[in-house]
Amino acid sequence: MAGVTRVRRQLPTSPWLFAAPGLLVVGAFVLYPFVTTVVNSFTDRRTLIPGRFVGLANFRELIHDDMFWTGLRNSTLYIVGVVPALVVLPLLLALLVQKNIPGITFFRSAFYTPVVASIVVVGLIWVWLLDERGLVNSLLETVGIGRVGFLSDQWLLLLSAMAVTVWKGLGYYMIIYLAALAGVPRELHEAAAVDGAGAVRRFLTVTVPAVRSTMVLVAALSSVAAFKTFSEVYLLAGPDGGPAGEDTTLVMLVQQTGTGLTGRVGYASALSVVVFVVTVALMLLVLRADRRDRP
Amino acid sequence: MRISRRAFALAAAAVLALPLSACGSGGDDGGSTDASGKVEGDITFQTWNLRANFKSYFDGLVADFEKKYPGTHVKWIDQPAEGYADKISADAAGGTLPDVVNVSPDLVAPLAKAGLALDLDKAAGKYRSEYLAGAWASHQIPGTSGTYAFPWYLNTGPLFYNKTLFKQAGLDPDQPPKTYDELFADALKMAQHSNGKVATLANVPTIEDFGRYGSQLMNKAGTGFAFNDAKGVELLTKYKELYDAKALDPQALTATPESTGKKFLTGAVAMNPGSALDLDNFKKQAPGLYKNIGITDQITSTGHVNMYVMGVMVNSRTKHTAASVAFAHFVTDAQNQMSFAKKVAIFPSTAGSLDDPYFTKEDGTDETRVRIAAAKSLKNAVNYTPVLFSDQMKTALRNEVAKTLQGRESPKTALDNAVKACDRLLRQEG
Repeated sequence: MAGVTRVRRQLPTSPWLFAAPGLLVVGAFVLYPFVTTVVNSFTDRRTLIPGRFVGLANFRELIHDDMFWTGLRNSTLYIVGVVPALVVLPLLLALLVQKNIPGITFFRSAFYTPVVASIVVVGLIWVWLLDERGLVNSLLETVGIGRVGFLSDQWLLLLSAMAVTVWKGLGYYMIIYLAALAGVPRELHEAAAVDGAGAVRRFLTVTVPAVRSTMVLVAALSSVAAFKTFSEVYLLAGPDGGPAGEDTTLVMLVQQTGTGLTGRVGYASALSVVVFVVTVALMLLVLRADRRDRP
Repeated sequence: MRISRRAFALAAAAVLALPLSACGSGGDDGGSTDASGKVEGDITFQTWNLRANFKSYFDGLVADFEKKYPGTHVKWIDQPAEGYADKISADAAGGTLPDVVNVSPDLVAPLAKAGLALDLDKAAGKYRSEYLAGAWASHQIPGTSGTYAFPWYLNTGPLFYNKTLFKQAGLDPDQPPKTYDELFADALKMAQHSNGKVATLANVPTIEDFGRYGSQLMNKAGTGFAFNDAKGVELLTKYKELYDAKALDPQALTATPESTGKKFLTGAVAMNPGSALDLDNFKKQAPGLYKNIGITDQITSTGHVNMYVMGVMVNSRTKHTAASVAFAHFVTDAQNQMSFAKKVAIFPSTAGSLDDPYFTKEDGTDETRVRIAAAKSLKNAVNYTPVLFSDQMKTALRNEVAKTLQGRESPKTALDNAVKACDRLLRQEG
């Protein structure tokens, strides 16, 4: 029949060919490094010296390494301090800027600015603010409180780093919540208002259930990010992780141990494997909690 | 055409593996230690954060070398100061280390142990006498035989102090401390007078400080650390007193060289070690401080000040050993070191260069005064930092020092722990 094009039968490899570029990228930059890290974690490999298989020696060593427990404690504390704030505050912020009133775009942009700002610049600004002779301490001194060692006390340093993380992350999660809030039917709010529900009641009984899955997503994302935190603590507490390394997080420990010409790649890989296992467990925990509580 | 699943999987695996195979530590396909061949070929030379200020000098240096040795071509690359060691380790692990590399002794040690640095005693021993004996020895690694880099420029520096702060604390600005006892006494007085607002020192003691105080840093065989001796404990005890009195800056435990430099510029700290390079910085960034800057010698109990040594290493796997050795020597020879020293406040490591009138004749300026004093002290200066003292060991020492200053451990316990940790790392690092 003239004018009719015969469609050739699809080859079994065709889908693979379409997926090949993506698979290559994932294979080269995700799977291969991951597998290499796992393999290295069972060796005593160093930066310039290929390692020997040492079985579970690295994992046994990290159990007896005080710095590992310090890092695990700090990374866990980071989750406890940061995640609740990053789940609740951006939602409140999103409610504030949700309304389409004149000039609201300015506030939305202003709240989002820290997200796009370079973490190094942000870190330096906070260091200047919190320094012994910085703006915050000058204000505290003026009102008679005296100087506070934000950058010299182990716990204040960690709290300051958490504050930076929350401040920098607010805008990002606010945008996620804005998208979720746009999907909440207006009628529900109107019906609740007609039934006499006040603003707080409407927030708890209409808004929160409607954005519940987004809150779970934010909790999962922010807890994984909090557990893997590096830059904020590095910039505020210095490369050693604060006084006596007491503010070191697990990822900082990976960097301290595994980099440089004398880096212990095998041991750092074992630490990375632990970070991976904990983050996967965290994700599963959050998702499981969500499934269990779902009506 | 049909492609079988197995063939496809094999192809995919090969494609995946191909770009990654470059990530290995490289085969032993390099050159030889014989540098006697014809000087020719394309080589790469890497410097450490020098392009921004000295581009024309290095362009000229490369052009002069290529003119002297027709048939050679030098590609000059420069890396930023931040993360330099990481860049070298990535290159070394990836088999892409340049032919000639600017290094410091602590960087060359692991490269030499991994067989990546050319032994210059074998390949370029004839040049040895051109350099100061101490400078040549600074790239020798305990536990190995050989010398693994040409010594390049040296640096040392005085102790700067803020005369205004000294005056305000009732100290004589023209009588800066000359001994550790005087330093500690002045620091305590300064803290007391300023009610803890002005510290005299801003850095916790480093391995060099222990060395300069008279502690024996390593055992004679170079197989273990020994800075937990009586002198080491004494120094740390003194620092604990200073910290408690706020004579050592409360933020010293998290300080970096940059942050302490800023504290000195803003008058929060009264003394800071530096080099002749800093004078220009004071002039530009803190003219008020510059007018009241005091300059005194490094304090030492051993009679030897500390010096920093830069070196130029030849990659043992270079394909052009003769050209690489010739270029590394060319960069570090007396003439070129002298010419570089006249552009920036550094000091040549070549024998006799420090007797040049440039380093001995006063002209009335502060810069020259600092230069002459530094050149004089360099003649018997010591690079206190052991070449085997890695970054991880530095962190271990800083952490233990911090525990003492916070009152969590006695100085003796902290130094015992630090030595134990450093010895363990030394064994692990091979």
